[in-house]
Amino acid sequence: MAKPKVGIYGLTSCAGDQLVLVNCEDELLDIVGALDLKSFVMGQSINDECELDIALVEGVVANQHDKETLEDIRSRSALLIALGTCAVWGGVPASKNEVSRAEFQKAVYGTETTGHEELITPLPLSHFVPVDFRISGCPIEKEELVGSIASLLHGDIPVLTNIPVCTECKMAENICQMVDLNNICLGPVTLAGCQARCPGHNRPCVGCRGPIEEANFASEYTLLLEKGFTSSEVINRMRIFAYPCEGLQAQVEKIENE
Amino acid sequence: MSETLSVNPLCLVEGHGRIEVELDQGRIKKLELNLIEGSRFFEALVKGHSYNEVHHISCRICAICSSVHQLSALNAIEDALGVKVSPQTELLRELLILGGNIESHSLHLFCLAIPDILGYPSAAALAEDHLEVAKLGLGLKKLGNEVQELTAGRAIHSSNTTVGGFGRLPAVAELKEIKAKLEKGLDDGLAALKFLSTLEFPRYASSESVFIALNPPAGKFGFKGPTILTSTGKEFDIHDYRKVCNEKVVRYSHAKQSLFEGKPFMVGSLARVALLGDRLDGVGADAMKMLNLSPPYDNIIANNPAQAVELAYSLERSLAIVNELIEKINLAEPLPEIKVRAGQGTGAYEAPRGSLYHHYELDENGLVTGADIVTPTAQNAANLEKDLRAVVENSIQSKSTEIEHFMAVTARAYDPCISCSVHLIQR
Repeated sequence: MAKPKVGIYGLTSCAGDQLVLVNCEDELLDIVGALDLKSFVMGQSINDECELDIALVEGVVANQHDKETLEDIRSRSALLIALGTCAVWGGVPASKNEVSRAEFQKAVYGTETTGHEELITPLPLSHFVPVDFRISGCPIEKEELVGSIASLLHGDIPVLTNIPVCTECKMAENICQMVDLNNICLGPVTLAGCQARCPGHNRPCVGCRGPIEEANFASEYTLLLEKGFTSSEVINRMRIFAYPCEGLQAQVEKIENE
Repeated sequence: MSETLSVNPLCLVEGHGRIEVELDQGRIKKLELNLIEGSRFFEALVKGHSYNEVHHISCRICAICSSVHQLSALNAIEDALGVKVSPQTELLRELLILGGNIESHSLHLFCLAIPDILGYPSAAALAEDHLEVAKLGLGLKKLGNEVQELTAGRAIHSSNTTVGGFGRLPAVAELKEIKAKLEKGLDDGLAALKFLSTLEFPRYASSESVFIALNPPAGKFGFKGPTILTSTGKEFDIHDYRKVCNEKVVRYSHAKQSLFEGKPFMVGSLARVALLGDRLDGVGADAMKMLNLSPPYDNIIANNPAQAVELAYSLERSLAIVNELIEKINLAEPLPEIKVRAGQGTGAYEAPRGSLYHHYELDENGLVTGADIVTPTAQNAANLEKDLRAVVENSIQSKSTEIEHFMAVTARAYDPCISCSVHLIQR
């Protein structure tokens, strides 16, 4: 079987998910050897922007250049995989999307003339193009990346976990950050796969892997308010990684209106 | 006759950049380094967030330097709140910074710079001819990540660091495990240095630079200090970092540029080695000799061997810290008490690519009202343009494709981190 033609791309991002691939030191040469890596600007100096079997795309669309790049990648890729919380949910760059980018830009560069980019309110890839598969995480977990690549190489659709951080946290027998320690912990509404790393380090979950399917933000919000946190404290924590998530905003708004 | 030269995209670097040059009768009419990564406005994003959330947000500026962004942010917040961390926390944080340096320098040297200098398009291509070298580099890189994982919980965007210290401290058994790996790593580091000493680093970018680095206390080499040292003989408290990096908006780039005393300057490994290299002893000093690093430091491409010197230093210093921790780590040490108050604070570390400053202002509830982050790549941008001009002038007789390649190699020698450089300044 011919090696699949693969492109690895970063839009506006911290490059952390591409770095997770490079951080697979033990597997890297095997992974790269199993793929026909056509484009990986961060990791190789000769790149061919051709028709692809698989495109892995990290980051958010934050300007017109990102949007055009993404549309071009989509048009020549059979499978497009969103890599990381930014690509899947919007991540940190989208955490204050209620403020217009023009306002941000003015605050930064003032009235000085700059040849700046045409800014777009940062949003996940699926807002602009169809996405075939999502690997969330800030950054993504090495095991999920390697496992997904292995599945694809075998012609299978990768299967990722769909349980909340709380489940993994309970299995690890950690002290509950929310119930026992009264911290704002986003474990109940956050996608597992990290083996509850933060609670395992005596730190509350900050939600970096993005929301679980059908997350009950309303219940999380109410519970934390009952514990004495203010609405803005809870919202501020919930917005860091997945502010564009419709369920989050809709559920919180609904409660606030009641 | 006019001619244009272009490096687009600039490969083998983190983030999106390009170089555009216009020549007229063999003279440079225009030379621009465009950092075209999308703006994310981090200083605006952290506003309104609590003092204990800032480091989670700020570290997302860049994955490769996420640990040093986190610690700089935490130092700034602790400065603002008057929190003193314990000597044990300082030691663990130093170990985390060293792990980040080992990872970052190994990544740059073995996955990006060495393949490039030897004419390979990637580390995988290098591995086809030099498997041992590629494996050596990947092994050291992995070790850097393991040191970061031990201290920070994970290598990218730490889960274990917090205001005042760490959520979880490493067990003695874990420290012993990493000790054994560091002992082997030190041998691998020496083997890597031997290989590097056989390489010829090109000189087409020769040009004098002003160097700036943080000045570690007690005449030591290191990556943190209370003052900023310049090669023009000046010294500033880190709280006065704005006197060193006066940023200006550049029309063609999303990153601002920094000038000191009206001149571009360089931060990073070469700056640290030039300013503090005579303080090195042990394998760091041996590495300087092996790689022929000595004044005048007028070739930016020597930033590659300077990173190798720091790689050797970081391995040796990590081992010393781990030994000290095995002897006396107090696993029951509590976090210091935090009293929320209004204030402002500055935190600074030497990131792998150079001095990094974080500054935050907090209101009486501990919410961020102002932020300022100055990254190494933003500080280096003006100096890189100066060096690119030198490349074009020094090699004007060469073919365009050659000059373009020389420019790409020169830009990559800075190990630029373009995600880091693009941000906003809001005062």
